[in-house]
Amino acid sequence: MSAPVALAELLQLPFLQRALLAGLLTGALGGVLGSFAVLRQLSFFSDALGHSALLGITAGILLGLNPTFVLVPFAVLFALGVDRLASRSRLPADALLNIVYSSSLALAVLVLSRVRSYRGGIEQLLFGDILGVSWVDLSLILLLLLGVCGYLLLTRHSQILLTLDEPLALSRGVAAGRHRLLFIVLLAVVVAISIKAVGVLLISAFVVIPACASRLVSRHFPHYVLLAAGLGAGCAVLGLLLSALLDLPSGPAVVVVQLAGFLVALALAPRVQGLAP
Amino acid sequence: MGAPILDVNHLTVCRDGTTVVEDVSFALQAESDTALVGPNGAGKSSLVQALLGILPRRSGSIRLLGHPLGPRGQLPVAVRDRIAYLPQTLQLRGRIPLTVAEFVGLGFERPGLSLPWRSCGDRTAAVRRALGRTDAADLADRLISELSTGQLKRVLLAFCVVRPRSLLLLDEAQAGLDSQATEHFHTLLYGLRRSEGWTILQVSHDLEMVRRTCDTVLCLNRSLRCSGSPDHALSPQQLERLYGPGYVPYHHHHHSSGPPSP
Repeated sequence: MSAPVALAELLQLPFLQRALLAGLLTGALGGVLGSFAVLRQLSFFSDALGHSALLGITAGILLGLNPTFVLVPFAVLFALGVDRLASRSRLPADALLNIVYSSSLALAVLVLSRVRSYRGGIEQLLFGDILGVSWVDLSLILLLLLGVCGYLLLTRHSQILLTLDEPLALSRGVAAGRHRLLFIVLLAVVVAISIKAVGVLLISAFVVIPACASRLVSRHFPHYVLLAAGLGAGCAVLGLLLSALLDLPSGPAVVVVQLAGFLVALALAPRVQGLAP
Repeated sequence: MGAPILDVNHLTVCRDGTTVVEDVSFALQAESDTALVGPNGAGKSSLVQALLGILPRRSGSIRLLGHPLGPRGQLPVAVRDRIAYLPQTLQLRGRIPLTVAEFVGLGFERPGLSLPWRSCGDRTAAVRRALGRTDAADLADRLISELSTGQLKRVLLAFCVVRPRSLLLLDEAQAGLDSQATEHFHTLLYGLRRSEGWTILQVSHDLEMVRRTCDTVLCLNRSLRCSGSPDHALSPQQLERLYGPGYVPYHHHHHSSGPPSP
């Protein structure tokens, strides 16, 4: 059977259609949020959140609930808690995040190793499972994408100022505290919802890699955000197709495609920067 | 004289649990150019930031253009729009895909909700004019993160003047500017005051320039040590009280200057 025929057959499968659609939407969502997150030094936050999410999934399994419905509140609480902790404690944020995420990860793996009723493997949680995307997940992701884009578009001046320099944003009357908190919560929800397809270990790549690739080659802020979204969506679809065709785990396949995109951007960067007048 | 542009009463500001500004009161009249001087760590930047609600205040009251500043920095949007702030520096980390023209445009926009399809012809013209006024027209397409210290200062000033304002708060605006740019900068400030009626409060270490250009001086070292005309406030006796014995007022600013602009 040749590759095109195999691909055409695969594309008939409803679960793959759902997965591709989910990849397209989460990829774009990760790119849009990521373009602000990497400039605001939140890359490690999304990584820590992804790792800690395993604890949320574990809680869902123990309670016998759909993981998505447990994950979203868990992620929001995690984000608010970490934000509060980081602003109160004198420890640097990265050290604090490390403590929180390694302990949640450890706790989750310990509990999971004891739960006999759990049928899926830990591996699927760690690296993602495209079979796991349901129509409910898909509509949640679509709603989230619309909400995030609407919010960022309407408040774009405040968001860019805030990304650039918080005191300057405050001097212009931007409600910095409220926007920062809302952004972190949105980031947490996006990570929580995308985790099924990508896995807890690699979810932060969705936020970080397309945005960083776009950051290397963009000169205008709107182009930067759009390119990050496009790269995120494109790499996700391509990675998922490769994963389906070659029977590879979906998360790592997407991340490898993102890496390729990043390397291309890295190679193009000197040329783009050379265009500067 | 009319109502003051800025009215500060018994202002006390704390930063990380220590009092950095204590019981400061002063008022700025319209079209005045006031210098805020004092040694490093005297609380000058903190005072300016508290005036804008960037830092919360512990006690006291602040009125800007006749409107009280709320305890958490609340101020009507229309009043905010009449005030510009030039920070000492921006916390830029790595490449930021934002051009100088886009950045100055943010100074033109009112923060808050704005629809994406609103026309931006006014903004483009205002940005071009502002960059021209601050000798930064050639920087319009550069990235904000690619600029030298002196270039960034000129761009920040363009951000401030892109819209007509009533009050301009400058935190060491001249630090990092070469002598020609400094001269041009003061000509611009003078023009803004005289022809457009701006009021200026500037943190400065350049006492010679303060003597030449400002009409009032506030000497701050946590609390207000003295204030008045430059001749009075910057007399050798007052300077010794402010900076301590052995202070040499001249040539001080050369040490803190950054590299000259190309």
